[in-house]
Amino acid sequence: MNSSIRKLFFLMVLMFGGLVAVLAWWQVVQEQNLAENPHNTRKVFAQMRIERGLILDNVRGELATNRREGDLYYRVYPRGDLAAHLLGYSDPIYGRTGLERSWNDYLTGTADEVELLNALNTLTGKENRGADLKLTLDPGIQSTALSAMQDLGKRGAIVVLDVKTGAVLAMVSTPTYDPNLLEENWDQLNADADAPLLNRATQGLYTPGSSFKLITTAAALDTGTFQPDSKFKDDKGSIDIYGNTIRNWRDLPFGDHDLSEAFSQSINTTFAQVGDRLGQETLIRYMQAFGLYSKPPFELPADEIMASGRYQDGKLMSPEAAMDPVQVAWMAIGQENLQVTPLQMAMIAQAIANGGRMMKPYVVDSVADFDGTIIRQGQPRELAKPVSSGTADDLKDMMIKVVNEGTGSRLKTDKVQIAGKTGTAEVEGRGPNAWFVGFAPAEDPQVAIAVVVEDADSFGGISGPVALKTILAALGL
Amino acid sequence: MERRRELVNFLPVLLLMLVGFASVYAARSEQINAGSLTYGLFFIGLFAGAHLLLRVAAPHADPYLLPLAALLSALGIMMIYRIDPGLAAAQTKWLMVGLGLFAAIVVFLRDYRKLDDYIYLLGALGVLLLALTIIFGSEINGARLWLRFGGLSIQPGEFSKVLITIFLAGYLNSKRELLSTTTWRFLGIPMPDLKHLLPLVTMWGLSFALLLLMNDLGTSLLFFGIFLAMTYVATGRLAYPMLGGILFTGGAILAYNIKYTVHTRVDIWLNPWTDAAGSGYQIVQSLFAIGDGGLFGTGLGKGYLLFQSGEPIIPALHTDFIFSAIAEELGLAGATALIILFMLLCYRGFKIAITSDDGFSKLLAVGLSAGLALQTFVILGGVMKLIPLTGITLPFVSYGGSSIVANYASLALLLLISHRTNAEQAS
Repeated sequence: MNSSIRKLFFLMVLMFGGLVAVLAWWQVVQEQNLAENPHNTRKVFAQMRIERGLILDNVRGELATNRREGDLYYRVYPRGDLAAHLLGYSDPIYGRTGLERSWNDYLTGTADEVELLNALNTLTGKENRGADLKLTLDPGIQSTALSAMQDLGKRGAIVVLDVKTGAVLAMVSTPTYDPNLLEENWDQLNADADAPLLNRATQGLYTPGSSFKLITTAAALDTGTFQPDSKFKDDKGSIDIYGNTIRNWRDLPFGDHDLSEAFSQSINTTFAQVGDRLGQETLIRYMQAFGLYSKPPFELPADEIMASGRYQDGKLMSPEAAMDPVQVAWMAIGQENLQVTPLQMAMIAQAIANGGRMMKPYVVDSVADFDGTIIRQGQPRELAKPVSSGTADDLKDMMIKVVNEGTGSRLKTDKVQIAGKTGTAEVEGRGPNAWFVGFAPAEDPQVAIAVVVEDADSFGGISGPVALKTILAALGL
Repeated sequence: MERRRELVNFLPVLLLMLVGFASVYAARSEQINAGSLTYGLFFIGLFAGAHLLLRVAAPHADPYLLPLAALLSALGIMMIYRIDPGLAAAQTKWLMVGLGLFAAIVVFLRDYRKLDDYIYLLGALGVLLLALTIIFGSEINGARLWLRFGGLSIQPGEFSKVLITIFLAGYLNSKRELLSTTTWRFLGIPMPDLKHLLPLVTMWGLSFALLLLMNDLGTSLLFFGIFLAMTYVATGRLAYPMLGGILFTGGAILAYNIKYTVHTRVDIWLNPWTDAAGSGYQIVQSLFAIGDGGLFGTGLGKGYLLFQSGEPIIPALHTDFIFSAIAEELGLAGATALIILFMLLCYRGFKIAITSDDGFSKLLAVGLSAGLALQTFVILGGVMKLIPLTGITLPFVSYGGSSIVANYASLALLLLISHRTNAEQAS
């Protein structure tokens, strides 16, 4: 029996060795990943002893402050649900999201620059606390945009960017929630089918529908394949592409027209032909130039930002994934598994408005130590130049025509010339998603906007009034 | 000679114990009062008593087992004291009961081989305890492991484990010749007569019934593992554990497909992250605690184990998840040391089995030691997400009366076996 006993003991040693190996896996190899997991609140709890820095809007209004209880600090959000998704929350039970998470090192004063200052402060006898974030967020635009969406009572999102700098002026996602009542409402918020905790502005994936024609047109003009006055014919209101029929809205035929009119009237048959002519490789190249297929480099945590592009089974497909010509034609009119975020669409509008120069979106204007020393300053930075300034100008003219004569007539106003593109994307089982992507004033663009409204009950234009109100507020009109 | 060595072995235990209690007290002096430190002194008194008893009743017993168990218990009480000083008081009482039974066994069962005459009675009692649990037991976390008598809950599985081990030691010892003789082949594996295989099939059935009726993969795995280990040692044939393993895997796959609770447990094990705030909460928080420990831990009393309210963050922290607390506060270094302690305990048990000269003693020592090792593996593997999580205690360390009492009974038997062998060699 003794030899069996020895072999059995050898097995036991192997088992104990396995336990030590797994333990080392969690405590050494995975230590960092576990610590950074959003469900892990141990660090949040430990850092509750630190007075977090404030988060301020662009006029230094308080968006996040602290309430002290014993030796712990609890976060308070004086503006409630105003910018809940962007700010995120910092909660000892549910962890952190949003800017509270991505800027945590600064807010808690544990970032290297702040630590150095804090060490100096300790030497000079001053009190330590985290650094303050001043945002580019404009509370006026933000609250106008939020109320406009809430008045509709629809799910959706709005992103407003400064055309010249890429600064985020407003970022709204509805339904929203009050981060001050997070713990009380947690179960309800998570059970809610409308997913109020989701930041639709950066994480919401929507079929772009006709708003995607911005990219198709940009590719058509920028490659020189077509001009705004290129001629097209549409007698039937539908077109047969390799045995597959693509239809206009209500099968309306538009007769003889040019590309510019096709754009302002959003003629599917024409754009299917344009897409077919350009081909997959060119379309994909311009999609990537406009930033699709990669996450916008924005200051929220990476897992709160989605990349735009073609999706299959919830996963972003490779841009090289082979497509047949029918799929390319469908993609040219914004279908074919395309999924985009409102932030991405706002960036496209910003680039066109800015002569083809896409700016890096940012929302943190400056980081200041609590005695006011600026330790980090947000700088406008050019991200890419997806199209030439000539193409951008042609596109701008076509976008003006959309508002003045085409599908965007609801944004026509005496106060300012708005330019943009509408989109209505069919969603199975629900009402369509209504898009408006544009900028204003057209002659000297200041603000770029993307609006998406889910489950829009009437065709066309439900996003228009929301966009109009927001743009007027942004321009102080 | 053995007892003097045991006394020397107790010195590091004493030292670690004092340092441990002092550091818990230093780190949490706001929450706990100095009076509760007397548990530490009381603990030392109990083991001094056990040591003195062995000097008289079993002077030749193995000198490492009791200090190892004491060290594990000390670590357990220290952690429980750190989590909830009130529970440490209760655990100290259970330790008294456990060492009481320990003393009774050492004194009244000195000729433990008499147990061989009553194996069917003991085995039946073991099965009866399990049956009672299945019929009258209350469910906690979906598993039916507890019997309640008024305010007292006991976990009969812990006692069954020891009783069935004794039964198997006697049964396998008397049948090992017959089980080693093969007469036919099954899937190319040489097999003994079918009638001698019956206990194997019965035991497989029992383990499987445990799984289905108690909803507990861990207990089932533990019983079956003990059985396979003992059968292998008794017959020297690998065919038994191999066939058993196949049967058990088949049963487990079947259970996964027909039992909702088993299915859920396995799914949580495979991916706890999808519902980290709900069904996966316990294991995910356990991994966070373990990860937080890093190489050297946060230090005793300094880990993030409790909410402000004093509630533990991980449910069942003081029982099933005590290892997660240890891994957080003592780190990879401390937790590995703990695993090594269990390995040493297992090593001494197997050593006793090898040196003893009769089949019953060998099989009993192997069964008891393998039981301790497997139970350690099942719960540590569970809280580290190596295997599906199951509610079972960490021997000697976890809070829990049944576990403490049953494990000190096992320890007493191991000591008696070693005393007999060593005394014979000495004379």
